[in-house]
Amino acid sequence: MEQELQRIRTAAFGELEQAQDVAAVSELRVKVLGKKGDLTAVLRGMGAMDPAERPRIGQLVNDLRQDFETALNARFELLKEAELNKRLAAEKIDITLPGRLRELGRRHPLTLALDRIKAVFLQMGFDIEEGPEVESDYYNFEALNLPPDHPARDMQDSFYITEQFLLRTHTSPVQVRTMQSQQPNSPIRMIAPGKVYRRDYDATHSPMFQQVEGLVVGPDICFADLKGTLELFCQGIFGDSVKVRFRPSYFPFTEPSAEVDISCVICKGKGCRVCKGTGWLEILGSGMVHPKVLEMSNYDPSQVSGFAFGMGVERIAMLAFGIDDMRLFYENDVRFLRRF
Amino acid sequence: MRAPVRWLKDYVNFDEAPEVLGERLTMAGIPVEGIERPCEGLRNIVTGLIRSVDPHPNAERLSVCQLDLGDKTVKIVTAATNVRAGQIVPVALSGAVLADGKIIESADFRGVLSEGMLCSAEEILGDTKIIAPEKREGIYVLPADTQLGQDIRPVMGLDDVTLEFELTANRADCFSVLGIAREIGVLSGNKAVRPLLNLQENGQGKAVEMATIEIREPDLCKRFCARILTNVRIGESPLWMQHRLQAAGMRPISNVVDVTNFVMLELGLPMHAYDYSLLAKHSIIVRRAVDGEKLTTLDGVKRELNSEMLVIADALQPVGIAGVMGGLATEVSASTKTVLLEAAAFYGPSVRRTSRGLGLRSEASGRFERGVDVAAIPLAIDRAVQLLAEMGACDVVPGIIDVYPKAVLPAQFDFTPQWINRYLGSDISADTMVDILQKLEFTVKVGSESITVTAPTWRHDVTGPVDIAEEVSRIYGYDNIPSTRPVGPLHSGGASRQNNLLDTARDLMTGFGFCETLSFSFSHPSFFEHLRLPVDSPLRNAIPIMNPITDEFPILRTTLMAGLLDTVARNLSRKNEDLKIYEVGTTHHAVRLPLDTHPEEVYRLCGAMVGRRDGTEWCHSRDNVDFFDAKGTVESLLTGLGISEWKVAASQAPWLHPGKQADFIVDEVAVATVGALHPSVQEAFGISRPVYLFKVNLTDLSPHCNVGAKAYSPLPKYPSITRDMALVLPDSVAAADVLAAVRNAGGELLVDSRLFDVYTGDRVEKGTRSLAISLVFRAPDRTLTDEEVDAPMGKLVQHIETAFAAKLRS
Repeated sequence: MEQELQRIRTAAFGELEQAQDVAAVSELRVKVLGKKGDLTAVLRGMGAMDPAERPRIGQLVNDLRQDFETALNARFELLKEAELNKRLAAEKIDITLPGRLRELGRRHPLTLALDRIKAVFLQMGFDIEEGPEVESDYYNFEALNLPPDHPARDMQDSFYITEQFLLRTHTSPVQVRTMQSQQPNSPIRMIAPGKVYRRDYDATHSPMFQQVEGLVVGPDICFADLKGTLELFCQGIFGDSVKVRFRPSYFPFTEPSAEVDISCVICKGKGCRVCKGTGWLEILGSGMVHPKVLEMSNYDPSQVSGFAFGMGVERIAMLAFGIDDMRLFYENDVRFLRRF
Repeated sequence: MRAPVRWLKDYVNFDEAPEVLGERLTMAGIPVEGIERPCEGLRNIVTGLIRSVDPHPNAERLSVCQLDLGDKTVKIVTAATNVRAGQIVPVALSGAVLADGKIIESADFRGVLSEGMLCSAEEILGDTKIIAPEKREGIYVLPADTQLGQDIRPVMGLDDVTLEFELTANRADCFSVLGIAREIGVLSGNKAVRPLLNLQENGQGKAVEMATIEIREPDLCKRFCARILTNVRIGESPLWMQHRLQAAGMRPISNVVDVTNFVMLELGLPMHAYDYSLLAKHSIIVRRAVDGEKLTTLDGVKRELNSEMLVIADALQPVGIAGVMGGLATEVSASTKTVLLEAAAFYGPSVRRTSRGLGLRSEASGRFERGVDVAAIPLAIDRAVQLLAEMGACDVVPGIIDVYPKAVLPAQFDFTPQWINRYLGSDISADTMVDILQKLEFTVKVGSESITVTAPTWRHDVTGPVDIAEEVSRIYGYDNIPSTRPVGPLHSGGASRQNNLLDTARDLMTGFGFCETLSFSFSHPSFFEHLRLPVDSPLRNAIPIMNPITDEFPILRTTLMAGLLDTVARNLSRKNEDLKIYEVGTTHHAVRLPLDTHPEEVYRLCGAMVGRRDGTEWCHSRDNVDFFDAKGTVESLLTGLGISEWKVAASQAPWLHPGKQADFIVDEVAVATVGALHPSVQEAFGISRPVYLFKVNLTDLSPHCNVGAKAYSPLPKYPSITRDMALVLPDSVAAADVLAAVRNAGGELLVDSRLFDVYTGDRVEKGTRSLAISLVFRAPDRTLTDEEVDAPMGKLVQHIETAFAAKLRS
């Protein structure tokens, strides 16, 4: 019997070694270990054996079964992996072929610039306000201390609809509208983005462009606050290293007034074509709200003061993205739009 | 405004280089736009006396000149015909550089060596507008007393530096060389001084007896001064004055005119000289023009006046438009013997209206618009008269006629340094403030509580304490004021619902792969034809612009479609053939025309799809976009904006294909339209490929949107059962109607239904199609059994079959 087992062992292991695929291994499992397999046959024949021999032979059969099963499983796994590897190798693709691109939508670069501006001011606790684009002469000029025939009206060549209505030349009317919508003297921190219109059309002027107005009103708001807030804004948009300069200027609705320059973002202040060699770029107009403007909006200049500012979104987008012709914004060539 | 440095130095001492000075002025609110060194590049051009002019031996059109340069003589060949022996002319020697950068070398002209070139005004100046027209042609002839062999630049007054200012509208006082000098004086600490007056009235008679002056409109003419000059000898003004005028950008004309211009530039007060003998009754009346009255101005243009305009008239007719331009008829000419010189102050807004009305702007009108120093008028007229007397151009009749109905007083008010510091956020001492104001020539009286200031007469822009804050801060330096952050109660910033809605719409469109475009709010009525709008379409009710920038843009847009289709056409012409674009913006709608109230501004979104659905890589489908891409975009957009229910109905937009368009209806209002662009519209816009268009009225949609917080409802706990059915129906049955019927008849266990296939073809009867619908049933409280679904399913099929003459497809 022992010889028989030895023969089975030799034959089984021999065949296992010869098995070249998973199917052959599975067949072998049935042949050796299956219900009609060689080892089962041996076990069946145990009844005829000397009962004293049975435990020893039984042990031998079990050892063989275990040994073979282990070897069989190992062989099975080996061949299975080899077969998988073979299949995977056959499935290899040219991964250098381009992928199935998802077309990216884009926000307009001016929207992106506006998003950045809004984000900076929202973080500072400003509200976002709006106002009409077709505006009355009163809100666009008079309530901003620009009476009829004021020479400063020349700064803003207007599109008129009627004697009374025009396309707003700046977003400043929203200052007045915001104050008038509040309880007199209540504090305000707001920006008002929007389209504005002036009769000018060339590489640096568009008859329609976008501005962001800003207004901060409260007790003891001072010129130093204007400086601090706008410095923070410029750094928020152009980075912490940008230098900010305040230059006396004139707007009828603010007093004192300041133009705000930043150190040239192109040449870092050394002087280049964009900054016309000055090292500075003008990006904002600002000033302390003129007491007459406060009064006309039912705010009491002896109780509150404020500062206001305005900026051109195109200008900021051009600097932030390095665009040199304003007309590109409104041509809407998708090759241009897809750059952003 | 241009201020030559040498001229400035007549009134104030300073040593700073022009660039440094320019920077300091700019930072004090007097913006220097440019620093000009005219003719800086000129080299080796000297003055020379023409000793002889001889014909060229070999060339008929050329002459050979001998030029005496003082220390040597050179021979020069010229083609100019105005050269005569005895003239002193500019000579460009070998190696000379002309205004345009051209280098002159000795050259052989047909056998004669020319050692340089004689120059015209243009070759020296580049631009000859500051030269009398008769001197622009040919070789420029210099005055007979010019020294020989001199560098041309000082001789022609070209060696000065000129500061160019871009002044703000409030600083009328700086529209003069003296005004700029004053500011330099404040910054440099050396006070500017006015020109010294020492007028000798050497003429006969009395001015007040020789002319009458009447101001009929004292609101429009605050003051009118006149002097009378006799024995006038019209001629050229001295060279130094000509050079000053030229450096400031003005052309010398004659002594009288030059002096009026000189004093205008010097003191900022425009003047006018009349030929006294031509003034009817020697009288001046300042009055409004009579409607239709005519006057030919100095520029030779006959102008029709109206009663809005102020004129200077004599006893009979207007002789000048007040503050804008004088009349041609009474102009000073070579034969003028007696002059009436005017210096006056006219009301700025009126001058501005008149000059705009006539389209006529002048150096004078610009100054009057901003406002002149009324107190300085007699000073200015005396200055002018003195200059003329000094150059021996006239005798001065004693006396000044000064009509000044109501004295214009400078502003006087109080302020406290504490208030200024609080307003500025600064810590400037009272002494510093007083010092700054005194340097600016304010009269300052320091009281125990406050400081009383009186503004100088030329500073009518200063009217209250905020102006003092400005004066103090700009001279003290904005840089020296600290930076602080506003202090106040915490407040969370926020945007309006509208703003958030637009932003969400943009985000969604970006996600759908669309590029955002921006077009002008302007439009043209021809687009109404392009879009096939019927004559009574409300979209035709566009707001016209009174003064459009070009003929292209006479109206405000009532729709975004035209702009977007224009963008499509432009992109296609540039070979950008696959487009998914949109715009978000307002359209303007008049309640009534002409406009008498604010128009309605409606926020809209309009999108267009053209060309391939996906990309153009090897792996993308070759399919082009179709109606359902556009429709699906709108459906996804509405869903993204938080709208859960809408109806789709056939629509009748004339710009769309009649069989391929639909409205989206939310709460009975058509909020969106989608469709294939009508082929005629496509053609009208010059578009070569099919366009699918959609437009959404975001203003109407806004109340239905939910872009903020969403409420969560728990996920289902029990599994669902899905049943599919395919129905064969007549073609004419709308899929939406079937789906709606399915939803209605499905019972409460039906939680979802989806159309997953549409089939037309051989396997169904002609005139019918098969709609395959997937139905999902679920109960909220238990796992459904097949038997439980059979009942509603059966009812549903039966209902659909009867309602639509449908058959269940096996």
